[in-house]
Amino acid sequence: MNKRTFKQLIVGTLLLSLALSVIAGCASKPDASSDTGSKSIASDIGTDPMWKYPETVKVTQVIGHGKAEDPKTPSDITPATNAYYQKLKEMLNIEVEYLWMVPSDQYEQKFSLAVASGDLPDLMTIGFEQYEKFKDEDQLEDLSEAYEKYASPDLKAYVEADGGKTLDMFREDGKLLALPSFEDPFMSAQIMWLRKDWLEKLNLEVPKTLEDLEKVAEAFTTQDPDGNGKADTYGLALHKDLISWGFDARGFFYTMGAYPKAWIKDKDGNLVAGETKPETKAALERLNQWYSKGLLDKEFAFKDMDKVVEDIVAGKVGIAFGEWWYPGWPLNMNRDQDPNADWVAAVLPSFNGKEGETLVPSQRMSRIYVVRKGYEHPEAVIKMANFYTEMQKKEYAEDVKAENGYVYNWYDPRVYNPYDFEQAFTEVNAALDNKQEEIDSVNPTSVQAFKSSKKYLSGEGDNSDWGIYMRSIAKDGGWGITRTLRDKAYVVDEFYGTATETMTEKKTSLNKMTDELFTKIIMGSTPSSEFDKYVESWKKLGGQDITDEVNEWYKNK
Amino acid sequence: MSNTAQTQPATVVKPRSSKRVSTFPLHLMLIPGVIVTLIYAYGPMFGLVMAFQKYVPTKGFLGSKWVGFKNFEYIFHMPDFYQVLWNTLIIAVLKIIFGLLVPLILALLLQEVAKNWIVRTIQTSVFLPYFLSWTILAGVIFEIFSLNGPVNSLIASMGSDPIMFMGDKNWFRGILIGSDVWKGMGYNMILYLAAIIGINPNLYEAAEIDGAGRWKQVIHITLPGIAPIIVLLATLSLGSVLNAGFEQILLLYNPLVYESADVIDTLVYRMGLIDQQFSPAAAFGLFKSVVSVVLVSISYYMAYRFTNYRIF
Repeated sequence: MNKRTFKQLIVGTLLLSLALSVIAGCASKPDASSDTGSKSIASDIGTDPMWKYPETVKVTQVIGHGKAEDPKTPSDITPATNAYYQKLKEMLNIEVEYLWMVPSDQYEQKFSLAVASGDLPDLMTIGFEQYEKFKDEDQLEDLSEAYEKYASPDLKAYVEADGGKTLDMFREDGKLLALPSFEDPFMSAQIMWLRKDWLEKLNLEVPKTLEDLEKVAEAFTTQDPDGNGKADTYGLALHKDLISWGFDARGFFYTMGAYPKAWIKDKDGNLVAGETKPETKAALERLNQWYSKGLLDKEFAFKDMDKVVEDIVAGKVGIAFGEWWYPGWPLNMNRDQDPNADWVAAVLPSFNGKEGETLVPSQRMSRIYVVRKGYEHPEAVIKMANFYTEMQKKEYAEDVKAENGYVYNWYDPRVYNPYDFEQAFTEVNAALDNKQEEIDSVNPTSVQAFKSSKKYLSGEGDNSDWGIYMRSIAKDGGWGITRTLRDKAYVVDEFYGTATETMTEKKTSLNKMTDELFTKIIMGSTPSSEFDKYVESWKKLGGQDITDEVNEWYKNK
Repeated sequence: MSNTAQTQPATVVKPRSSKRVSTFPLHLMLIPGVIVTLIYAYGPMFGLVMAFQKYVPTKGFLGSKWVGFKNFEYIFHMPDFYQVLWNTLIIAVLKIIFGLLVPLILALLLQEVAKNWIVRTIQTSVFLPYFLSWTILAGVIFEIFSLNGPVNSLIASMGSDPIMFMGDKNWFRGILIGSDVWKGMGYNMILYLAAIIGINPNLYEAAEIDGAGRWKQVIHITLPGIAPIIVLLATLSLGSVLNAGFEQILLLYNPLVYESADVIDTLVYRMGLIDQQFSPAAAFGLFKSVVSVVLVSISYYMAYRFTNYRIF
């Protein structure tokens, strides 16, 4: 072989592999740009909600999944073998295929990558911000015809439970771009949970003011409430994400009239960022006092939520701010560990004679279902939602059980009655007051809660029955307390638009600054006087622009 | 984003044309490697165009708007830019320095141990952490340095106040550097030991006859003998000066120590994957790669000058 052919070979190989890599990079891109006009749905598709396709229709999805929620689920069930999908194939001839499955904590990252590579599934479950992005990029299939023609009356009743207000948010130029599943915004309201058995043991009342709460926290820290002779308990549960999702400091801030990382109305009707207000500074100073008194975990700043939950379950901590659902998880697990453990719910304490006012979001969107532009069967997605609603009915109750491999939290799209917990509360309480043995309700949440409540109240139930009763039904339980907040004063987080331009650009820096300063003030490594400087730099580094943009949005809303 | 520093000297092959024909089949074996490199190392480079675009994923590279150097302007004006750059440099440089010195001292000490089984035991146990993942080590480090951990128990038994190591910006860097050196020291130590074994034993005998003690032997024979490998390792690690150890820091840091431990890679991670600012994150990554290429070139040149080491 001479020199020239060798050279040619090398060059040829290089070119070939280059071409290969380009092809590999482009091949996976769906060809969405080619069809722009929305085509109408074939007229021979039956409008009956349970009409079965003569030929199998395929829908691709992706999933970030946790464990099947019900422990009775057979251990060999995976999202792909979920009995809901088997049944769906059997009854409607719709086949779901997962492009990928990851544990839920990796989902966001994986989904970002999928979006970045343009490799989108047919049906997607997304958040509001992602929705706005997809909308701007014209990536979403119009669902209006599919929804009008094929949604079952039950499904429509749920989706339009608020008079169609939420659904209208997803209409754009006469097109319907998403199927939203939303919830009662009060499900995000903050209340307070306390170890009832500890209060009783130390002869304390459920605190009504912040000062009382502080005394309780001190007693829980210093007076050995678990009676094991060791100083291993502390007052208030907290972790490194101060404003997040549970067991965090939101309730504490709200008690003191501070609403960090929320947009609230000031007295002139303009929106301001709660983290820059003097109330936030005062709350941070107060938390710092609690920290130096040892009422918080000294190392809360290094612990994530899982670690705090471990402390709650192990009976190390006696107070947690948060939402109504704690008894269902993880308080029931605390009772598994310690049969004497008991918890009580209370409204936020008052501060300076003023009742604590919780923050309530403008809306509580749980899941937004969208369909990739260009997918041929948008009506199949609506039918899948019909199917799920149908499956919750009583006539299927014998079959649709966790024991048979039905895992509801691995099924999408599922749309619920937004007010099902409120409905369950009134229906079940009425049935219990009437000493009924059976409950007659079409709301599956009511049926399940009634069963557990009956069991718990008769003394037979286990701790998960206790959890469901305390969470949803008990008048002094989670939902029982939360629903009373509707009649009290509360503050609304007014901004629910998509991130503004400066928000997208500066969010990383501003959040870093906020988290760093807040944690440092609480732990005392920075004096709270730094707060004023922080507000100045926050405004200078983009915060002022963001405030202007948010107010602009608010006026044009 | 990452550029692995080469620490192993590649074999110097300089075939001349007459030999090329006979080694040709061997060259063919390179093809799979070349293809894989092209697909996974060169292919993704096309993605770098997003550093010059306002990249919108669903519009792709062809549909996104070109913005020139705006993304670079943006990152250079980020308030955190100089902080993370400084953190990256200081952490990486200290890691390099201690990562070279500690294994050297260990190797020299180990050389003086006569009993073979002790040498082997120590070698193995020092090498072991090299194979553990940071995910596991992070959990261990948190336990060791927690307020109730062994280190603080020791401090308490000496009558001092406990120290919050993981939340103290001064201690935290030390922990980062210390744990990184501890994890990686086995690898360099083996390289040094191999170099020491390569020194001609006659030199030691001659020195002994001339009356040199152990210490003098180390200074005048061992150290000069392994100087080339020290210089080689040092210059090659220059290329990784902007890699402060992403995985380790991401697993260990928290808002309290942002000031001293937030580095380029962790900032790019939060920008790109958490906040979905793809374009500025890509620009930051590209900036880092350009600086690294310059440093690698310098270090390659220096390696050639001082130790005659060359690949091409």
